[in-house]
Amino acid sequence: MESEILLSAQNISHSFYLSKTASVRALDKLSFEIRRGEIYGLVGESGSGKSTAARCVMNLVKPQSGHIFYEGVDITDPKQFGANKRLLQTSRQMIFQDSTSSLNGRMKVADIIAEPMRIAHMAPKRGTYRKEAAFQMKYVGLDEIYLDKYPAELSGGQRQRVAIARALCMEPELLVADEPVASLDVSIQAQIVNLFRHLQDEHGFSFLFIAHDLSMVRYLCDRVGVLLRGKLVEEAPSEELFQNPQHPYTKALLSAMPLPDPIRERNRKLIPFDADTLCSQGVMREVSPGHFVRTEGGETA
Amino acid sequence: MDDFTLVGARPQAPLPAQKKVPWYRGKPVAAYLVLGLIVLGCLLWSAFSKTDAGYMDLSACNLAPSRSHLFGTDTMGRDIFAMIWSGGRLSLIIGVCSTLLSTLIAVFFGSLSGCAGERLGGLLTRVNEIFISIPNLLLIVLLQAILGQASVWSLSIVIGLTSWMSIAKVVRTEVRVLRGSEYVQAARCMGGSFLHILRVHLAPNFLPSILFMVIMNVRGAMLAESTLSFLGLGLPLEVVSWGSMLSLSEKALLTGSWWMIVIPGVFLVATLLSLTEIGNAIRRSLGHSQKIL
Repeated sequence: MESEILLSAQNISHSFYLSKTASVRALDKLSFEIRRGEIYGLVGESGSGKSTAARCVMNLVKPQSGHIFYEGVDITDPKQFGANKRLLQTSRQMIFQDSTSSLNGRMKVADIIAEPMRIAHMAPKRGTYRKEAAFQMKYVGLDEIYLDKYPAELSGGQRQRVAIARALCMEPELLVADEPVASLDVSIQAQIVNLFRHLQDEHGFSFLFIAHDLSMVRYLCDRVGVLLRGKLVEEAPSEELFQNPQHPYTKALLSAMPLPDPIRERNRKLIPFDADTLCSQGVMREVSPGHFVRTEGGETA
Repeated sequence: MDDFTLVGARPQAPLPAQKKVPWYRGKPVAAYLVLGLIVLGCLLWSAFSKTDAGYMDLSACNLAPSRSHLFGTDTMGRDIFAMIWSGGRLSLIIGVCSTLLSTLIAVFFGSLSGCAGERLGGLLTRVNEIFISIPNLLLIVLLQAILGQASVWSLSIVIGLTSWMSIAKVVRTEVRVLRGSEYVQAARCMGGSFLHILRVHLAPNFLPSILFMVIMNVRGAMLAESTLSFLGLGLPLEVVSWGSMLSLSEKALLTGSWWMIVIPGVFLVATLLSLTEIGNAIRRSLGHSQKIL
């Protein structure tokens, strides 16, 4: 089961049009796969297409070309999407970056958490939707007294927990988290990432984790893909990637990571990079088992 | 499944119980009371009274308030006390019905132009602005002329058709903001239908911001009815409403019978003031609940 592929994105491309002439290529023939029960991290600088990739996976953005297969269903094909709507809408859940805007300020916490179950007309396992919401809240480390609170009455970390509880109550197969901790302060980030880890251990769902904080990715993810201008430039198991980065862009990214040791931090040197020369047309080559690097057509890795 | 340890959560002391606040704090009790009495009076009168408010007793015209005629009689010998209650019913019906109609149009038009694309939305907005730029009274007179003889229902429709524009503008603005918000996207991911999103996410978020306008719309409609009746364009004299009662005032001014103007005037003003007060209180309480967001 471990290696079975849950989600497979194949050559997805998408551009945003700013005006009639100017456009931004957010995704450029991006391909990646997420296995069952795996935490897949997608990292890259801002504007590299991470969020667009997540939105494509969740059908919020339709890629202009390419296909995304989820459990063998091509979700970019409206026909297949329509036929498998229920499966797709219940087993994929998303967590957004900003919990302030991803929770409706006029709904109580209990209703927010139960909303996906209500939409799917799912019978609550624990009697009522309210009990189900209370259970999920306990599960993500929130007290029941918050059931009747409005999101504005909660702190950022608590709100993000509510968002996580909402996603978890459907017991998803795939959880897509678009920078779920970026809007939180560092101590809360640690709490939430620990929570993710714990929940993933317990539920065993697959997890697409999008972040720009590399130390977080290293801690949480099983496999990491490095995104540059809508293209994967390197993909490897996370320890392998952090120990042995191959692509110059990955090296540059890793060099930007703050180090927890003051002496080493003082001596840390940023590796400059030029995106125009780096973002090449090459192909992905396997340099060691599971470690792929984009290399120029003729060169060897 | 139930026995697990919390990870990454700091232990938190339970919140202290909230202080008891008197139920009437910050609520317009007087306004509710006045409005409730007037509405109740109008409803009960039409349900229980056997006297005809339009009955003209020419032997008892122009009488000052007395034991037999509590609010006096008008120039045609009608009992003003009876007229107030039965006429109030019509005024309120016109206010409520025309507001329902205009709110319905506004929500529909506003949501449509808010959810539509750039071009259609812009076009609908321009149409809306054209309507706004035409003086209201002119539109009402025009529509009333088309519909012919004024009745309660034709007046409600005419006033409703001419008062939705500003609400629609607010709805459109709100919907445009809301449709891009992440909770709407999250609901779409979960498979929420358009109706679900409108009901659960859009409407609760834009209704409060138009609620004040809706209540002011009731006020405006009642005012428009009295204006029209006063000008002789509204309900005919023999149909009793607060507006048509006020339209008698020019005759009353000549005869010095103050009760003909003051009494319907007081009732109209009291109702309108109560509505304004309630609308303001709702707006205040919304601002309060939204202060953190």
